[in-house]
Amino acid sequence: MPRRLLFLLLCLVLPVGMAAGVESSVSGQTLRVLVLDDAPPLSYRDRSGQLTGFNVEIVRALCREMQARCLFDVTTQGAVVDAVAQGKADIAGVGLQETPERQGKLIFAKPHYRSLSLWLAPRGVQPGQPGLKVAVVGGSEQEYYARRQGWATLDVSTYGELGEPLIAGRAQAAVVPMISALNLQKSEAFRQLDLVPVVMRIPELAGDIAFGISPRRPELKEEINAALDRIKRNGTYDRINSRFLPFRVS
Amino acid sequence: MSAVIKRQRGFSASRAFALLAAVFLVIFGAAVVLLAHDQQRVIDATSRLQEQTVPEIIRFQRLARNLEQLRQEGERIFAVNSHASRQQSMFVVTLIASHPSILEHPPAAQLARETEQFLSEIVRQSVRDDRRPAAYYDEWQRLAARLGTQVDDVSIQGVDLVTSDLNVATEAMKLARYKLMAVLLLFGLFLLVFVVLVRSYLIKPLQAIDRALSNLSVVQPAPEFPPTAMREIQAVEEAIREQHALLIQNEQVRHVLEQLANKDGLTGLMNRRHFMQVAEVELQRAQRYRRPVTVAMADLDYFKKLNDTYGHAAGDLVLKTFADLVREALRQSDLVCRYGGEEFAFLFPEIDPGDAAKLAERLRLRCSETEIALPDGRSVKVTVSIGLADASECPIEIALKRADEALYDAKHLGRNTIVLAGEHTEARTESAEPYTARLF
Repeated sequence: MPRRLLFLLLCLVLPVGMAAGVESSVSGQTLRVLVLDDAPPLSYRDRSGQLTGFNVEIVRALCREMQARCLFDVTTQGAVVDAVAQGKADIAGVGLQETPERQGKLIFAKPHYRSLSLWLAPRGVQPGQPGLKVAVVGGSEQEYYARRQGWATLDVSTYGELGEPLIAGRAQAAVVPMISALNLQKSEAFRQLDLVPVVMRIPELAGDIAFGISPRRPELKEEINAALDRIKRNGTYDRINSRFLPFRVS
Repeated sequence: MSAVIKRQRGFSASRAFALLAAVFLVIFGAAVVLLAHDQQRVIDATSRLQEQTVPEIIRFQRLARNLEQLRQEGERIFAVNSHASRQQSMFVVTLIASHPSILEHPPAAQLARETEQFLSEIVRQSVRDDRRPAAYYDEWQRLAARLGTQVDDVSIQGVDLVTSDLNVATEAMKLARYKLMAVLLLFGLFLLVFVVLVRSYLIKPLQAIDRALSNLSVVQPAPEFPPTAMREIQAVEEAIREQHALLIQNEQVRHVLEQLANKDGLTGLMNRRHFMQVAEVELQRAQRYRRPVTVAMADLDYFKKLNDTYGHAAGDLVLKTFADLVREALRQSDLVCRYGGEEFAFLFPEIDPGDAAKLAERLRLRCSETEIALPDGRSVKVTVSIGLADASECPIEIALKRADEALYDAKHLGRNTIVLAGEHTEARTESAEPYTARLF
């Protein structure tokens, strides 16, 4: 009797599951994706010159799930939002915090990780201290925040360049996303600076990070969200997480 | 009228079965709704498992993984001698301890904060003295054990979520199973009731109707049916009763028509056609079994003269009276018919011409002695001449012809007499006076 009931239930549930299943409305389509190539470990070129990193591989996994072909194009943090907003690309394969300003330009997918920002400075040097040059990536949320605070900033165009002004002494502090900070720590010269990381308990500098979607492709949102749920369930997401980051970031 | 009253008491089969079907539909519709409700509970539980619980489990797994990572980074801080490596690990510890995935789970956040503070102090002291960390290793072991326990707790929390959802689904499935069994039981019961009702109210009455139709005959009494509730069955039964009454009526009509066809309208005796049929059969029977049989022809003497004298009404009365005398004088088994006009034919089974002559003589005598009162007050007597012939060895026509010849002889012998065929052939040539009928 339970088998018959189970069979009956399966007959009813399976078609629903199949209907809601893998088949995607963007199946077979080509999606243009903008990524950074100098923001390790999120997005960078490996030794063979291939684009890789946490964000890039997540986008690749999403494209596989959606059975879509993704064409990657490289951009900078400062240009990515406007480029996608203008329809030059379908997806911003860059981790973006969902701010009111960006909400007006882009559609945001479901967050794929959670981040926080660090204040990196010599011991005892506090945020907002006069006479400090604060290194930030141009176009990043950290830059906007530093400007709003009236701090003197030193903008760099990529996360990979963030260590250089600190090492060179042109900046005394930096506000960086946690994952970029992890990458900075890998540099011996940077570690020699003995900067102390302080977590910035500022709401606009911490929280959910998501991919941006062109407002001209609103149908992509549901597809990407569903694909993200699937890769989180089937282990793909965690394998990519382990490959690029030392702990779980979602 | 009684049939009408019975019909009013009954109910229509189509309505009754429509009502039954409606009740069936309502009950099973309700059962299906109940089953669908349980099914929906299972679907909801599995959907919740898929949409909410599984992501929650994954979240707990990731939290557990981060706590474990925290423990590993702590171990690394104690294991390595390089300050840079300790710094790197401490950096990761700081990030993990501040990460939202940890902060949203208060017990884990509290433990992570303690771990961060403890390890931060270790790293700070290790800058001054590389050997200091070892002194705190026991304390770290206790903290690491707490981290391990927290990892277990978080993992179990994830499993508990699944167990809870599965329990809901299992309960719903069990309930659905009981309901399904109840529905099947109900279905069986309903089927039983349906079969019983069909048998009682349709099949049995139809069988009774079939039997009644098979036995429907004028020789059988009107069919009786047990009381039935179905109006359609009542109508058929009533039609069968009416059919039986019609059969009886038809039989009566047929009998009357047969009488009319076989009897003479005036005397009530057989007519010539019917007599010939019956006599033929009787003659064949007698000849087959070699039994004696005799035929006779009789003619009322001077009947034409009687008619002319007294009128046809008197003639008719005389004929009817003679027919009555015949019925009285002859045996039940004897056949007699009005052969035509005042002429009559007879068949006497089981007796030879000699014995038949005695019967004929009795008739002749009674006839000659009977005074017939006419309506006008007068009365007449009439005599009869009879010719007899043996019919045991010849066809009826021949035998009657011989009897007729004997009658002819009787007429010539003077009427009011009986002649056996072959006895008085000479009489045909000369008339005889002694048997002259007397008319008054």
